[in-house]
Amino acid sequence: MSAFISSLKTTLSGYIRYRGREGHISFLLHRITGLGTLLFLIIHIIDTSWAYFNPELYQEAIELYGQWYFMVQEIILVFCVIYHGVNGLRITYLDMFKPAGWNIPSQRTSARWTLTVSIVLWLPAAAIMGYHLLHDSLGWI
Amino acid sequence: MSTETVRTVKTPRNYDVIAWKWMRYSAILLIPLVWIHVAIQDVIVGVHAIAETEGGAFVYVVERWGNPLWITYDILLLAFAFAHGMNGLRQVALDFIHNPTAQRITSWVIFIMWLVISAIGAYAIIAAAAANLAG
Repeated sequence: MSAFISSLKTTLSGYIRYRGREGHISFLLHRITGLGTLLFLIIHIIDTSWAYFNPELYQEAIELYGQWYFMVQEIILVFCVIYHGVNGLRITYLDMFKPAGWNIPSQRTSARWTLTVSIVLWLPAAAIMGYHLLHDSLGWI
Repeated sequence: MSTETVRTVKTPRNYDVIAWKWMRYSAILLIPLVWIHVAIQDVIVGVHAIAETEGGAFVYVVERWGNPLWITYDILLLAFAFAHGMNGLRQVALDFIHNPTAQRITSWVIFIMWLVISAIGAYAIIAAAAANLAG
């Protein structure tokens, strides 16, 4: 157990202290957005199965997702899905077609572009979902 | 000017290499599958419209499972997205866990979780599709 704790501490402190700038940040973002999406996916597969197994419970789940605090999470989830996909495309493209692009300066540039493209794709979706949040969940507009 | 060196390595044909390739190739298919799914359900339709479906939210879901296109789409989504996600969780977990026995246990626990949850999802889709087909 203590060996497990020490290996956990080594890995975690490496996650925090490693100062690889853009490369470090995109590595962390890729993992966080992936795990975040997976957490939702586990819940989502089970609750969607209720549409068949237990319609009343499914109704309750969907109404819960319509609450403002869940809609905020939904908007974050959509960012996770977009970023993870765009960054995944960048990694795949560089690995398979342009491995020279993994040198540090161009990797930093491509990491910044990945974040920019993700935000540009996310903003219109976030605006529409934000409207639903304000209009349907809160009734403010 | 950087000089380009092409480095080739021989990869062994073991489970982890196959799992790694699965991550990459499933990802390419997942980009259209997941993005279209999210664009339709979260952005265009939205959770409130689903909640207010006549007859109940379940009608929205079960009716889609009367259409062969969406049955296939959702099965593919379930198979590819969840396996990709659970294998990703396994990769992250094995970065933290260094003991080989603990690694093997972790892989098995994640595999069984994947199998059980995938089975629940697949059962719901197939049973609803069969019920729709029977009228």
